[in-house]
Amino acid sequence: MESKSFPGTVDSLDALREYIGELSQRAGLAKKPTYNLKLAVDEIATNIILYGYQAPGIEADFQVLSEISDQALVVILEDIAAPFDPLAKELPNAQDLTLSLEERGIGGLGIFLTINGVDEFSYEYANGKNRNKFVMKITAT
Amino acid sequence: MAFQIESLIQDQVATFTLHGELDSLSARVFQTEIEKIANQPIDSLVLDMEDLNFMSSAGLRVLIYSKQKIGPKLSIYIVRPQELIVDTLTKTGLQHSVTIVDQYPV
Repeated sequence: MESKSFPGTVDSLDALREYIGELSQRAGLAKKPTYNLKLAVDEIATNIILYGYQAPGIEADFQVLSEISDQALVVILEDIAAPFDPLAKELPNAQDLTLSLEERGIGGLGIFLTINGVDEFSYEYANGKNRNKFVMKITAT
Repeated sequence: MAFQIESLIQDQVATFTLHGELDSLSARVFQTEIEKIANQPIDSLVLDMEDLNFMSSAGLRVLIYSKQKIGPKLSIYIVRPQELIVDTLTKTGLQHSVTIVDQYPV
Protein backbone atom coordinates (compact mmCIF):
# COMPACT_ATOMS: atom_id res chain seq x y z
CA MET A 1 0.00 0.00 0.00
CA GLU A 2 1.11 3.53 -0.76
CA SER A 3 0.95 5.98 2.13
CA LYS A 4 0.94 9.76 2.25
CA SER A 5 0.57 12.02 5.23
CA PHE A 6 -1.29 15.34 5.49
CA PRO A 7 -1.43 17.89 8.33
CA GLY A 8 -4.81 17.84 10.08
CA THR A 9 -5.91 21.31 9.01
CA VAL A 10 -8.45 22.46 6.41
CA ASP A 11 -5.58 23.94 4.38
CA SER A 12 -4.68 20.35 3.48
CA LEU A 13 -7.95 19.69 1.65
CA ASP A 14 -6.78 21.21 -1.63
CA ALA A 15 -3.61 19.08 -1.74
CA LEU A 16 -5.60 16.06 -0.61
CA ARG A 17 -8.04 16.38 -3.52
CA GLU A 18 -5.16 16.83 -5.91
CA TYR A 19 -3.55 13.64 -4.60
CA ILE A 20 -6.84 11.71 -4.93
CA GLY A 21 -7.01 13.03 -8.51
CA GLU A 22 -3.53 11.62 -9.18
CA LEU A 23 -4.44 8.22 -7.72
CA SER A 24 -7.66 8.16 -9.78
CA GLN A 25 -5.73 8.97 -12.92
CA ARG A 26 -3.23 6.18 -12.23
CA ALA A 27 -6.15 3.80 -11.64
CA GLY A 28 -7.76 4.89 -14.89
CA LEU A 29 -10.97 6.20 -13.35
CA ALA A 30 -13.20 8.36 -15.54
CA LYS A 31 -14.03 11.99 -14.75
CA LYS A 32 -17.25 11.39 -12.84
CA PRO A 33 -16.02 8.64 -10.48
CA THR A 34 -12.86 10.68 -9.93
CA TYR A 35 -14.94 13.67 -8.87
CA ASN A 36 -17.16 11.53 -6.65
CA LEU A 37 -14.14 9.98 -4.91
CA LYS A 38 -12.57 13.42 -4.38
CA LEU A 39 -15.85 14.64 -2.92
CA ALA A 40 -16.22 11.60 -0.63
CA VAL A 41 -12.64 11.81 0.67
CA ASP A 42 -12.93 15.59 1.12
CA GLU A 43 -16.12 15.18 3.17
CA ILE A 44 -14.68 12.57 5.53
CA ALA A 45 -11.33 14.36 5.84
CA THR A 46 -13.21 17.58 6.70
CA ASN A 47 -14.99 15.77 9.54
CA ILE A 48 -11.71 14.32 10.81
CA ILE A 49 -10.02 17.74 10.74
CA LEU A 50 -12.86 19.84 12.20
CA TYR A 51 -14.39 17.46 14.71
CA GLY A 52 -11.70 14.82 15.29
CA TYR A 53 -8.72 17.13 15.61
CA GLN A 54 -9.56 20.84 15.82
CA ALA A 55 -12.56 20.71 18.19
CA PRO A 56 -10.67 18.83 20.94
CA GLY A 57 -7.42 20.72 20.13
CA ILE A 58 -5.41 17.83 18.71
CA GLU A 59 -2.57 18.73 16.35
CA ALA A 60 -1.88 15.68 14.25
CA ASP A 61 -1.56 14.38 10.73
CA PHE A 62 -3.87 11.99 8.97
CA GLN A 63 -2.77 9.35 6.51
CA VAL A 64 -4.01 8.36 3.10
CA LEU A 65 -3.32 4.72 2.30
CA SER A 66 -4.07 3.54 -1.19
CA GLU A 67 -3.89 0.51 -3.40
CA ILE A 68 -4.63 0.12 -7.08
CA SER A 69 -5.46 -3.30 -8.47
CA ASP A 70 -7.05 -4.44 -11.71
CA GLN A 71 -10.44 -4.40 -10.02
CA ALA A 72 -10.43 -1.35 -7.79
CA LEU A 73 -8.87 1.74 -6.34
CA VAL A 74 -8.93 1.47 -2.56
CA VAL A 75 -8.31 4.57 -0.44
CA ILE A 76 -8.17 4.50 3.36
CA LEU A 77 -8.12 7.59 5.55
CA GLU A 78 -6.48 6.88 8.90
CA ASP A 79 -6.56 9.24 11.86
CA ILE A 80 -5.81 9.12 15.58
CA ALA A 81 -8.82 11.15 16.77
CA ALA A 82 -11.41 9.71 19.14
CA PRO A 83 -13.42 6.86 17.61
CA PHE A 84 -16.05 8.25 15.26
CA ASP A 85 -18.17 6.09 13.00
CA PRO A 86 -19.66 8.27 10.25
CA LEU A 87 -22.13 5.48 9.45
CA ALA A 88 -23.59 5.66 12.95
CA LYS A 89 -25.02 9.08 12.23
CA GLU A 90 -28.54 9.26 10.90
CA LEU A 91 -28.50 10.16 7.23
CA PRO A 92 -31.03 12.47 5.63
CA ASN A 93 -33.89 10.33 4.35
CA ALA A 94 -35.85 10.73 1.12
CA GLN A 95 -38.29 13.10 2.81
CA ASP A 96 -35.51 15.28 4.26
CA LEU A 97 -34.09 15.71 0.76
CA THR A 98 -37.38 17.13 -0.50
CA LEU A 99 -37.46 19.86 2.14
CA SER A 100 -37.04 23.44 1.00
CA LEU A 101 -33.90 25.35 1.99
CA GLU A 102 -35.80 27.19 4.73
CA GLU A 103 -36.76 23.93 6.38
CA ARG A 104 -33.42 22.18 6.08
CA GLY A 105 -31.13 21.06 8.82
CA ILE A 106 -27.53 21.50 7.77
CA GLY A 107 -26.10 18.18 8.98
CA GLY A 108 -25.58 14.84 7.33
CA LEU A 109 -25.27 15.98 3.70
CA GLY A 110 -21.53 15.30 3.57
CA ILE A 111 -21.82 11.71 4.68
CA PHE A 112 -24.82 11.23 2.41
CA LEU A 113 -22.70 12.41 -0.57
CA THR A 114 -19.82 10.18 0.53
CA ILE A 115 -21.89 7.01 0.65
CA ASN A 116 -23.69 7.86 -2.58
CA GLY A 117 -20.54 8.69 -4.48
CA VAL A 118 -18.39 5.61 -3.97
CA ASP A 119 -18.91 1.92 -4.76
CA GLU A 120 -18.17 0.87 -1.18
CA PHE A 121 -17.64 2.79 2.02
CA SER A 122 -16.78 1.21 5.34
CA TYR A 123 -15.47 2.22 8.74
CA GLU A 124 -13.52 0.45 11.44
CA TYR A 125 -11.64 1.44 14.58
CA ALA A 126 -8.51 -0.61 15.07
CA ASN A 127 -5.20 -0.15 16.91
CA GLY A 128 -6.18 3.29 18.14
CA LYS A 129 -7.06 4.55 14.69
CA ASN A 130 -10.20 5.42 12.77
CA ARG A 131 -10.06 3.83 9.33
CA ASN A 132 -12.48 5.14 6.68
CA LYS A 133 -12.27 2.99 3.58
CA PHE A 134 -13.42 4.00 0.08
CA VAL A 135 -13.56 1.59 -2.84
CA MET A 136 -14.00 2.59 -6.47
CA LYS A 137 -14.43 -0.32 -8.85
CA ILE A 138 -12.49 -0.20 -12.05
CA THR A 139 -14.56 -1.24 -15.02
CA ALA A 140 -12.83 -2.68 -18.03
CA THR A 141 -13.05 -0.36 -21.00
CA MET B 1 -7.18 25.43 -7.34
CA ALA B 2 -7.46 28.52 -5.16
CA PHE B 3 -10.96 29.77 -4.52
CA GLN B 4 -11.92 33.27 -5.59
CA ILE B 5 -15.15 35.17 -5.31
CA GLU B 6 -16.24 38.46 -6.86
CA SER B 7 -19.35 40.27 -5.81
CA LEU B 8 -21.60 42.87 -7.35
CA ILE B 9 -24.69 44.26 -5.68
CA GLN B 10 -27.11 46.23 -7.79
CA ASP B 11 -30.86 46.81 -7.73
CA GLN B 12 -31.56 44.24 -4.99
CA VAL B 13 -29.62 41.60 -6.89
CA ALA B 14 -26.42 40.22 -5.39
CA THR B 15 -24.22 38.53 -7.96
CA PHE B 16 -21.29 36.39 -6.87
CA THR B 17 -18.91 34.86 -9.35
CA LEU B 18 -17.19 31.79 -7.90
CA HIS B 19 -13.92 30.39 -9.23
CA GLY B 20 -11.88 27.36 -8.24
CA GLU B 21 -12.93 24.87 -5.58
CA LEU B 22 -15.47 25.37 -2.81
CA ASP B 23 -14.57 23.24 0.23
CA SER B 24 -14.89 23.76 3.96
CA LEU B 25 -11.98 26.22 3.96
CA SER B 26 -13.23 28.38 1.09
CA ALA B 27 -16.87 28.08 2.21
CA ARG B 28 -15.92 30.39 5.09
CA VAL B 29 -15.00 33.09 2.59
CA PHE B 30 -18.27 32.53 0.71
CA GLN B 31 -20.27 32.66 3.94
CA THR B 32 -18.58 35.91 4.97
CA GLU B 33 -19.69 37.45 1.67
CA ILE B 34 -23.27 36.28 2.32
CA GLU B 35 -23.16 37.74 5.83
CA LYS B 36 -22.20 41.11 4.35
CA ILE B 37 -25.43 41.25 2.33
CA ALA B 38 -27.69 39.65 4.94
CA ASN B 39 -29.06 42.97 6.16
CA GLN B 40 -29.54 44.50 2.75
CA PRO B 41 -32.79 44.41 0.78
CA ILE B 42 -31.69 41.64 -1.59
CA ASP B 43 -34.37 39.67 -3.44
CA SER B 44 -32.17 37.65 -5.80
CA LEU B 45 -28.88 35.90 -5.21
CA VAL B 46 -27.12 35.06 -8.47
CA LEU B 47 -24.23 32.61 -8.26
CA ASP B 48 -22.15 32.33 -11.40
CA MET B 49 -20.57 28.86 -11.13
CA GLU B 50 -19.21 28.42 -14.63
CA ASP B 51 -15.61 28.43 -13.31
CA LEU B 52 -16.33 26.53 -10.12
CA ASN B 53 -14.77 23.07 -10.43
CA PHE B 54 -15.68 21.51 -7.10
CA MET B 55 -18.29 21.98 -4.39
CA SER B 56 -18.52 19.96 -1.19
CA SER B 57 -21.37 19.89 1.31
CA ALA B 58 -19.75 22.94 2.93
CA GLY B 59 -20.84 24.88 -0.17
CA LEU B 60 -24.35 23.43 0.04
CA ARG B 61 -24.55 24.54 3.64
CA VAL B 62 -23.79 28.13 2.59
CA LEU B 63 -26.71 27.93 0.11
CA ILE B 64 -28.99 26.75 2.91
CA TYR B 65 -27.57 29.41 5.22
CA SER B 66 -28.22 32.13 2.61
CA LYS B 67 -31.88 31.33 2.35
CA GLN B 68 -32.28 31.03 6.10
CA LYS B 69 -30.34 34.24 6.80
CA ILE B 70 -31.68 36.49 4.03
CA GLY B 71 -35.21 35.16 4.10
CA PRO B 72 -37.65 32.80 2.38
CA LYS B 73 -38.43 35.29 -0.39
CA LEU B 74 -34.86 35.19 -1.66
CA SER B 75 -34.58 33.65 -5.13
CA ILE B 76 -31.32 31.82 -5.79
CA TYR B 77 -30.12 31.51 -9.38
CA ILE B 78 -27.16 29.30 -10.25
CA VAL B 79 -25.65 30.27 -13.57
CA ARG B 80 -23.99 27.64 -15.75
CA PRO B 81 -22.89 25.15 -13.07
CA GLN B 82 -20.65 22.29 -14.20
CA GLU B 83 -22.34 18.92 -14.68
CA LEU B 84 -20.80 17.29 -11.59
CA ILE B 85 -21.96 20.15 -9.39
CA VAL B 86 -25.48 19.80 -10.83
CA ASP B 87 -25.22 16.13 -9.83
CA THR B 88 -24.53 17.12 -6.23
CA LEU B 89 -27.44 19.58 -6.20
CA THR B 90 -29.73 16.91 -7.67
CA LYS B 91 -28.66 14.10 -5.31
CA THR B 92 -29.28 16.29 -2.29
CA GLY B 93 -32.59 17.64 -3.61
CA LEU B 94 -31.37 21.23 -3.57
CA GLN B 95 -32.09 21.71 -7.26
CA HIS B 96 -35.75 22.20 -6.28
CA SER B 97 -34.85 25.22 -4.17
CA VAL B 98 -32.64 27.00 -6.67
CA THR B 99 -33.09 27.91 -10.31
CA ILE B 100 -30.37 26.68 -12.66
CA VAL B 101 -30.01 29.03 -15.63
CA ASP B 102 -27.70 29.62 -18.59
CA GLN B 103 -27.58 33.34 -18.00
CA TYR B 104 -28.92 36.04 -15.70
CA PRO B 105 -31.11 38.02 -16.22
CA VAL B 106 -32.94 34.90 -17.41
